[in-house]
Amino acid sequence: MMISGHPFNDLAGWIEQMAVLPVLYRFGLMQWSELSFGWTLVALYGLFQMLLCYAICIPLERRFPIERWESRKPILTDVLYTAIARIGILPITTFVVFYTLQTRLDGFLADHGYAPPMLETIFPLLFGHPIVTFFIYALVLDFADYWRHRLSHRFGIWYALHAVHHSQRQMTVWSDDRNHVLDDAAGFLWFMVVGLLIGIPPMQFPVLVLALRFVESFSHANIKMGFGRLGERLVVSPRFHRAHHGLFAAGSTSVNYGAVFPVWDILFHTADFSSDFPATGDIGAPETMVSGGYLVQQWSGLLHVLNALRS
Amino acid sequence: MKLEISRRALLGAVAFPAAGLAVPTLRPPIAIVMDSGGATVSIIDMTTRKVVRKEPTLREPSHWALAPDRQRLLVSDAAGNAIFFFDPATGKEMSHVLIPDPYQLWYSPDGRYLGVNALRLNHVDLYHADRLTLAKRFRTGSMPSHLSYSPDSRWMFNSLQGANALASFDLLDLRARWSVPVGSAPAGVMWHEGLVLVAIMGSNHVAVVDPRDGRVRRRVVTDRGPHNLFLAPDRAHIVVTNRVAGSLSVLDAKTLAVVARVAMPGGPDDLCFAPDGKLWIALRFASEVAVFEPRTGSIDRIPVGRSPHGIFVSTLLTDAPALAAMRLA
Repeated sequence: MMISGHPFNDLAGWIEQMAVLPVLYRFGLMQWSELSFGWTLVALYGLFQMLLCYAICIPLERRFPIERWESRKPILTDVLYTAIARIGILPITTFVVFYTLQTRLDGFLADHGYAPPMLETIFPLLFGHPIVTFFIYALVLDFADYWRHRLSHRFGIWYALHAVHHSQRQMTVWSDDRNHVLDDAAGFLWFMVVGLLIGIPPMQFPVLVLALRFVESFSHANIKMGFGRLGERLVVSPRFHRAHHGLFAAGSTSVNYGAVFPVWDILFHTADFSSDFPATGDIGAPETMVSGGYLVQQWSGLLHVLNALRS
Repeated sequence: MKLEISRRALLGAVAFPAAGLAVPTLRPPIAIVMDSGGATVSIIDMTTRKVVRKEPTLREPSHWALAPDRQRLLVSDAAGNAIFFFDPATGKEMSHVLIPDPYQLWYSPDGRYLGVNALRLNHVDLYHADRLTLAKRFRTGSMPSHLSYSPDSRWMFNSLQGANALASFDLLDLRARWSVPVGSAPAGVMWHEGLVLVAIMGSNHVAVVDPRDGRVRRRVVTDRGPHNLFLAPDRAHIVVTNRVAGSLSVLDAKTLAVVARVAMPGGPDDLCFAPDGKLWIALRFASEVAVFEPRTGSIDRIPVGRSPHGIFVSTLLTDAPALAAMRLA
């Protein structure tokens, strides 16, 4: 294997050739060979994200912890969530479930003379400026995510699923991906609609993608850290996001919904810069959702939805 | 059958005559490489073998087609829902148009139509070549991948990667002729001597198909995962890229017997023949273009953008034998 200027690509290419293609070939699945390279890349980025979190956040969590716990066992489930979400299992499953739906929808639109636009086709001046385009996409998608997140707190049934994310009392860098699969599916649908309106973002800047995803993980870390008066207003910090996870800020009373940029909270009056590392969790969440294993938490989320429907 | 031959034996067996060596070129020759993972095309100076610049596309450029007047090189960008027009001699972008999901594309030999496979949307579009307006949309099975035509432009043949089939369409009546199973995950398609050759990527062979009814008459074993096929300018050999094995198989164009196998790790995909006899090969998984010298077996590697997919060499513009082999003359 030669490493060129694209180390992720080359490593993914090596894995593709050594492992993925032989498996697809063996099981008669070569029609997916075109897409499998992309998924190998996604899994590789995910693995690198986990290593990055471990290398940077774990030492900081030990050095500057907000809380210290006798047992860190509940955190192990969050590590499993992260592995499932980042190393391809969840993206591949979501892809399989939604691929047919998305292609049928796109095909229907194409038959009616509609090709999903992109920011560069809506604003032609952006064409040829991929980094600028990337950051505008990042802003627009963060804006969309702000509203998805805010609405998931607004509606009781949706929040009953989202409560899986909020129920963690030992919030760490691994808590970012602690989500109910149906909550993740809702998020995917949300971005599918956004994708129809503004297209998919360019993915040729893996380092920038990694940086944005790192901000989301870092904001959940058990690190007593803010970014200062100005920094707190530019990028979501552990201090800012912890207020969102505060024990008494669960459900519709929450604040600080932004994932990467706090600007949306400032604009829509949901920002709270005063909170000072409160205890996290959701007092309405059942204990099974708080400290059960992965499947127990998922089941508990479903029961929580049924309870919300009854009430 | 897998034929392994030594590098020395390769010298005699697989040296594509430098049919176009004396062909004059007006500009420094360039190779235009579609970097699917980088949303760019890399422009390589073929003399210095260095990337001299990159031209942006929208999302995922993959394949190319040379316009009948040879003044424009069309590059498809399926994820960007666009076709880009480049100057084939300089690699400068001229314009682009929005078209849903263009994957592989090729002009009919009479220059009347541009066939475009929409791999994700499961249809084949036929555009009037002169004004790029839709003449007909054919619903197909899953994942139309590559396409070819009969030399008289009467029939179009499209591999359906997800449906394990080859479909054929009549371009006079604009109707479907047949769609028949040919093997697992068919990819590259090539008309050859009154037959249609199909690279069966999910297996280890090339299917030889009767264009009249789609019946598979013969299967030529090459190597694991044959992806695409190319007639050499000498018209004596056909080169097959094998995606899973990471190799090239060279077939005798008359008998279709395998005469050589060349290891080509890195996911060989598209390739072009240069007038000096060298093969310029896009390596999907290595972010490189390989320049393979069949006489010596040497391989030079040129780093390009991520996931290089299609490759075009500007020497084709004046290389009559190579153009004829690609039915672009």
